[in-house]
Amino acid sequence: MRKPLVLRHPSILVFLGVLAVFTVAVTVLSAGYGTGAISTSMVKTLGKTLCLALAAVAMDLVWGYAGILSLGQMAFFALGGYMIGMWLMVARTEGIVAGSLANLPIPPTDAEISAAVATQIFGVVGSDKFPMIWAFSGSLWGQLALVVLVPGLLALVFGWLAFRSRVNGVYLSILTQAMTLALALYLFQNDSGLRGNNGLSGLQNIPGLDAVSQEKLSIWFLWASAVTLGLGYLLIAWVASGKFGSVTRAIRDDEARVRFLGYSVEGYKLVVFVLAAVVTAIAGALYYPQAGIINPAELAPIASIYLAVWVAIGGRGRLYGAAIGAIFVSMLSSWFTGGRAPDVNLGFYTIKWVDWWQVLLGLSFVLVTLLAPKGIAGLVDLFEGLRPPKRQGQPMGPDMGSLREKEAVE
Amino acid sequence: MRLFLLVLAFVALVLPIHARAQTADLAAVVSQYRDQIEKPSRQSIGPVVDEIAATGAQGAALLQAWNERLLGLRKSDGLLVIAAPEGDGLKLTDAATGADLGSAAEADVTMLRPNSGVRGVISAAMAGNALSDPDPKRRIEALDSMSRRADASQLALLREAMDDPDPALAARKQRLERMLTIQYDSDPAARIAAIEGFGGDSGLDFRASLNPILAMRRVAFEEIPSGTNIAKELSLGGDLSREDAYAMLVAEGLAPARLTPQAMRATLAQHIVQGSVGGVPLAQLADQDARDRAYTALEAQGTVQPAASDDEVEAALARYKFLDVYAEPNPDVTTAARAALRSTETRIGLMQAADLSLDALSLASIYFLAAIGLAVTFGVMGVINMAHGEFIMMGAYTGYVVQQFIADRTVSLIVALPLAFVVTFAAGVALERLVIRHLYKRPLETLLATFGVSIALQQLAKNIFGTQARPLTSPAWLDGALTFNDVVSISYIRIAIFVLALVFLGLYLFIMNRTRLGLEVRAVTQNPAMAASMGISPDRINMLTFGLGSGIAGIAGVAIGLFAKVTSELGSDYIVQSFMTVVVGGVGNIWGTLAGAALIGFLQKGIEWFNPANTLAAQTYMILFIIIFIQFRPRGIIAAKGRAVGA
Amino acid sequence: MKYYSSALAAALMTVGLAGTGWAQDDTIKIGVLHSLSGTMAISETTLKDTVLMMVEQQNAKGGLLGKKIEAVVVDPASDWPLFAEKARELISVNGVDAIFGCWTSVSRKSVLPVIEELNGLLFYPVQYEGEESSKNVIYTGAAPNQQAIPAVDYMAEELGVEKWALLGTDYVYPRTTNNILDAYLKGKGVAEGDIFVNYTPFGHSDWSKIVADVVALGADGKKVGVVSTINGDANIGFYKELAAAGVSADDIPVMAFSVGEEELAGLDTTNLVGHLAAWNYFESADTPENKAFIDEWHKFTKNDKRVTNDPMEATMIGFNAWVKAVEKAGTTDTDPVLDAIVGVEVPNLTGGTATVLPNHHLTKPVLIGEIRADGQFDIVSQTDEVAGDAWTDFLPDSAKLDSDWTGKKCGMWNTETNSCVQLGSNY
Repeated sequence: MRKPLVLRHPSILVFLGVLAVFTVAVTVLSAGYGTGAISTSMVKTLGKTLCLALAAVAMDLVWGYAGILSLGQMAFFALGGYMIGMWLMVARTEGIVAGSLANLPIPPTDAEISAAVATQIFGVVGSDKFPMIWAFSGSLWGQLALVVLVPGLLALVFGWLAFRSRVNGVYLSILTQAMTLALALYLFQNDSGLRGNNGLSGLQNIPGLDAVSQEKLSIWFLWASAVTLGLGYLLIAWVASGKFGSVTRAIRDDEARVRFLGYSVEGYKLVVFVLAAVVTAIAGALYYPQAGIINPAELAPIASIYLAVWVAIGGRGRLYGAAIGAIFVSMLSSWFTGGRAPDVNLGFYTIKWVDWWQVLLGLSFVLVTLLAPKGIAGLVDLFEGLRPPKRQGQPMGPDMGSLREKEAVE
Repeated sequence: MRLFLLVLAFVALVLPIHARAQTADLAAVVSQYRDQIEKPSRQSIGPVVDEIAATGAQGAALLQAWNERLLGLRKSDGLLVIAAPEGDGLKLTDAATGADLGSAAEADVTMLRPNSGVRGVISAAMAGNALSDPDPKRRIEALDSMSRRADASQLALLREAMDDPDPALAARKQRLERMLTIQYDSDPAARIAAIEGFGGDSGLDFRASLNPILAMRRVAFEEIPSGTNIAKELSLGGDLSREDAYAMLVAEGLAPARLTPQAMRATLAQHIVQGSVGGVPLAQLADQDARDRAYTALEAQGTVQPAASDDEVEAALARYKFLDVYAEPNPDVTTAARAALRSTETRIGLMQAADLSLDALSLASIYFLAAIGLAVTFGVMGVINMAHGEFIMMGAYTGYVVQQFIADRTVSLIVALPLAFVVTFAAGVALERLVIRHLYKRPLETLLATFGVSIALQQLAKNIFGTQARPLTSPAWLDGALTFNDVVSISYIRIAIFVLALVFLGLYLFIMNRTRLGLEVRAVTQNPAMAASMGISPDRINMLTFGLGSGIAGIAGVAIGLFAKVTSELGSDYIVQSFMTVVVGGVGNIWGTLAGAALIGFLQKGIEWFNPANTLAAQTYMILFIIIFIQFRPRGIIAAKGRAVGA
Repeated sequence: MKYYSSALAAALMTVGLAGTGWAQDDTIKIGVLHSLSGTMAISETTLKDTVLMMVEQQNAKGGLLGKKIEAVVVDPASDWPLFAEKARELISVNGVDAIFGCWTSVSRKSVLPVIEELNGLLFYPVQYEGEESSKNVIYTGAAPNQQAIPAVDYMAEELGVEKWALLGTDYVYPRTTNNILDAYLKGKGVAEGDIFVNYTPFGHSDWSKIVADVVALGADGKKVGVVSTINGDANIGFYKELAAAGVSADDIPVMAFSVGEEELAGLDTTNLVGHLAAWNYFESADTPENKAFIDEWHKFTKNDKRVTNDPMEATMIGFNAWVKAVEKAGTTDTDPVLDAIVGVEVPNLTGGTATVLPNHHLTKPVLIGEIRADGQFDIVSQTDEVAGDAWTDFLPDSAKLDSDWTGKKCGMWNTETNSCVQLGSNY
């Protein structure tokens, strides 16, 4: 009888424990349910960061475990946000419009309500009709299903096409980047029906919960984000741990050999890719109601690259590493760009972190890649005294195992 | 200043007719129209200008000064003065009398700023006389002004001044005269002759003089009045939808409007009686059928005006004929104009296609130029360099910096091109030595590390040069465009980029196929270990190759900066497209890159042609096409064959 | 020992928790919400400096209500969700009484829900597309009827333009403005075929085809005019291509709504002389107020070359209006200030006064400038003050809407049904 998953991988238990402690701590210190030491905007930032951490964990599954460097993950993230945002906008506006039309002497027809809602939502982009893609926007369950279905389907089609043609390595990376760029450009168009550059806004006002203050709502979302992160982490850890995980890692290390062993490489990759896309989309659907606004800039290629950066800095190939990376770098980023970091006066020049943070981030990224491929999570190995073997020289070929030239001599 | 006096003298000399026919005193005219002169409007200034022109030489001088924005008000006494710049200050002349008022500081005079519409009126008023001016420049200006805003009166003036010592100008006058004849001559035969005299001319100006003749409006008649020059009788449902036709009748007051849902609702609201309308309870009125019933009930009661029913609409539509009618009354003229326009259609279409192809070619060469450096680093070495775009940007900024030190733009360009190569070559070598060298076995990590370099460089550029676009101005000989005719033209700067792209193609082929370096590069690419054993240092070759690719990016940066803009985001605008170009074309083959650039350029322009209102859509669908294309031809248009595939 | 790894995560999570502010009672705080980094930094940093300059001047005059004004500057980094977050922080953590900020429409729409929820006060200083009126926002920039409509009138009347090319960057301001212009022009009898519309992406650089399309419009023998709502960097390529194609301002005048002194600094303007821009302020305005403002600006920034522009004037007017309203109300609380601010008059830099209207817009003069070779504008037309209209009269859905925060207490009043559509604004 095998031990349960969490006992085989104690890090999972630690992660979940820390997450729970953190959530409780924030709740106790929050303005909504506690002392108020943490402001509501900070609670929202923390909640959003948890969602980003989940996206990073999914990214780690794709990149760290399956070796697919997808530079389009934020496309799924934003799509999730768009899908839930559609419902939020329609439901909220419907409440307002129905309220105002109810004052009229003649009660409004459904068509009139729908037209008034459309005018309110699309007036910004000079239209007054619901585009086709808003067909399910009136139903919460419909849009929730779309949160999973749309990004999942996109990942399925894209992945199937790409893996089938054996596009891999850097080609695949560029292709995923092109995918998110094309999607961003498409959404930027007003004709796309998702309000172009303006995107969907006012998402923090949850329909039906007008009476609940943002102080409380932000905590609710923090809880939801924490629970989702916990569940997502568990799911991905489970997927990555069993035989499935082993095959996935084998594909990462040598795709051709796995194929010769008779595994359906494409199938494994596709499952991983779609699963990650769906998890990312769920994270996005939780993120944007906290952010309040979503627009196409959110899925610009740079956003997905940052996601990869977080995972790399955190340490890829370990889920907690990815989460740490996302939390650490995104919080640090907002600290530096928020103008809160003190300027450094060098006498002849004052370093303003608002200007220099990006340079620092870029360079530290190069350094991490070059010197510490394991990222922050590598510190854990250091702590435990785990050292990778010092590899030297050229590989000696298949018959000699993993030994290399100089090692063999020594 | 002397030039200005000279101009004044000319004006005085060439206006003998008006000088003699001095009818009114200029001072009186000026004081009468003082308000209009201070705040002129194009639509009302015409008579004032004519009156001033009629006063003689000083009036003409005033107009001339006004047109050149040298007219002002002296702040001390509000006198209208001509203020010509002189040294640091202004030299004042009384605009009404021509009396010399000495000089004054700029702050003492409020300058008048006639807008370009008013200036157009003034220069048109002066054009008639300027047509025979001894100065060819003024004659050209007069012709320009006349071709912009001609009217019937100017046809006579032009015909008087047809002779010109300059044959080119004489030809222009001739052409303009024919053009004005088409539009303004009173004799239809002369107009038709003029139209036919142009043959199959496809000039924009010729079409511009024909199209107003063919201007038409849409009307509805019960009886077609005689003498109507009908362009086309419209068929209902075909040329004109029934709804639009009826809306036309309503707009012209020929038929009652149909009931809109809004109007019905408003009417119903006015007739609420004890919580119901026409017997239908209010609560039920949240339904269109119920509302119809309520309205019908009201109609039956006679309380509301019956709305136009479908039958009435049909009857009204049947009663009227819908026509497109020419504003020009003479059918012979419109027929001739139409025939002339039709004969140009095919040629214009072909020329538009040619123009589009030139645009596409130009775009392709820009992509090629941006991608050729990548073709070296990515295509040959297989190193993915996300900072490639930033090398392009560095090149562009080098051009900008050089221009700050060397004022002469030709010289600065000559200095900037090699300097950009040197700068980015050095940057490339540094990047290769410090980062990429350690990651040859880990391509995905190269991608990420170079991306880190890219964001650092981009932010560095922002810190140094600011986020605002910087000017990089091309030398004067690259200004303007090579114009084949009114439709087909291409700017010289684009031609220069095209030539540069060709030069680089040649250079690449030469280096790779004809030099020692190229031989060694190919050897290292194919088998580094074997090459090393032959005495080639792969390290050195990799460094040089990478430097070469980066250097080319730098030169491309100067060219792109010249034609577009220099910003810190310049590189990232091109990076995805550049990679696409290389990947679509096929890695490792310069002809593939060329094919990729051509495909992308022509494709994008083609989509733009289908949907001219939305350029963003063109880019979106282009990328989408490429994604799908790569799925089906993962190795690009020109796929590498044989052993190189595995490498 | 692996457990430490995750403990690390927890430690990192709490890094950002510190940093709650403390309130000082002897100062009045205002927030400055302009991007200091990212793509919008170039435009918005100038406005941040303007607010700081105004604060310094006001404090030199003895402050406000006997207290010093303190500006709290935050950086939303051109990131739209961050605008909302920072606005919340400014109001609920820093306790500011008014916020001066935002540039793009999308950033304003991002901030709106927060400002309305927390009953804050935002001064928005940029020309925008209208179709909005919030209780908590004072719009000190131009509404479409204070810029676009007069500019188009000018082109039709003074330049005789009969055929229109509406070129814009693909985002909400050009889209809405062009929709309004399209309806307006058609209302004036311009045929459908005489209006050409094109949208390009941000930072577009390949303009040859579009310029060729515009030139080809001239084949009708009608005078062609371009109304440009092209934004930012893209203008450079556009004007370069225009110059290369030999399109002179006399043949095809281009009227720009988003090109000011600052944008022209990136260009060689010799080939652009005579093209136009419409604003409510130009640096070249010849008034003593403007001269004093420019001198102050140069002194404050210690740079004689810094240009001034329209949003700066709007920021200045907004700040002065706020100061006057606070003095009138005797408090900095939002509601009394909002009641007091309607009707407040502040001198413009171009002469005349700006009055805060019940719809939270201002009266503004409309200026048309022709580009000069030195990158400045010749003012060729200046109207009297025009009252800003929140809801345009030229779109059917908006024509019936009205905004009145003093009488009707509603920003979206339906004049057909005489009812308030909604109290919050449409974001």
